[in-house]
Amino acid sequence: MRTTQNFEFTSNPGDFAEFRGKLRALLQQAELDEKKSGEVILAVDEALTNIYRHAYQKQPGKIHLSFQDEEDRVEIWVRDAGKKFNPLTLPAPELPPVKPGGLGIHLIKNLMDRVEYDDGFPDGNRLGLVKYKEKP
Amino acid sequence: MKISQKQKDAVTFFEIAGEIDFQHSPALRDQLQEAIGKQARGLVVNLKKVSYIDSSGLATFVEALQKVKRYSGRLVLTELAPAVRGVFEIAKLDSIFSLAASEAEALQLLAPSA
Repeated sequence: MRTTQNFEFTSNPGDFAEFRGKLRALLQQAELDEKKSGEVILAVDEALTNIYRHAYQKQPGKIHLSFQDEEDRVEIWVRDAGKKFNPLTLPAPELPPVKPGGLGIHLIKNLMDRVEYDDGFPDGNRLGLVKYKEKP
Repeated sequence: MKISQKQKDAVTFFEIAGEIDFQHSPALRDQLQEAIGKQARGLVVNLKKVSYIDSSGLATFVEALQKVKRYSGRLVLTELAPAVRGVFEIAKLDSIFSLAASEAEALQLLAPSA
């Protein structure tokens, strides 16, 4: 493992833009190109929005995020203490969409190389997002 | 996010600058819906200064497109930056939206014969 950074913040969408800026800097340090960085930032943002909307049902709650810069990949784990919500069990949306909404999980799955939901996480949710620096 | 709006003949032009995220897409929705409420025949939304769009932004445009179609109006999005266009493509929205490279091309798409 090269480096790990941990962040803790409240599920306030007004703060997510600032966090996107921090994440961009970390991804730059991890030497991800601009396209991949943009993809990771959007996937993480969608995950944070899901926590706000579904896990905490638009109420303030704590989010913990760990960012790991590994040799071949970046690995991000996001956890909350809200209502259980496994986004990976949702059916795939109809594409192109016939109604607004329901695209967040589709974006996460398509933007990241690997997405994992920790079923064994006891209190709340833990979602893992992996992006390889080069395609494996 | 900043939204500017102008009217020229029957076409309402929007120019958006900044990030269309969960926090800001309601403001965009309000402005689009206001024009749609007046049954604007053509809406042209210039996205060249938009650096970021999330699923809430996509949903805002999907809703606008649906409503515009109901009264046979037209919605054209112009000058999408590659990162923004990429997000539309992942959701296959590039197949249902009229995307133009410039406002002049957007006006051609809005012409009655288009």
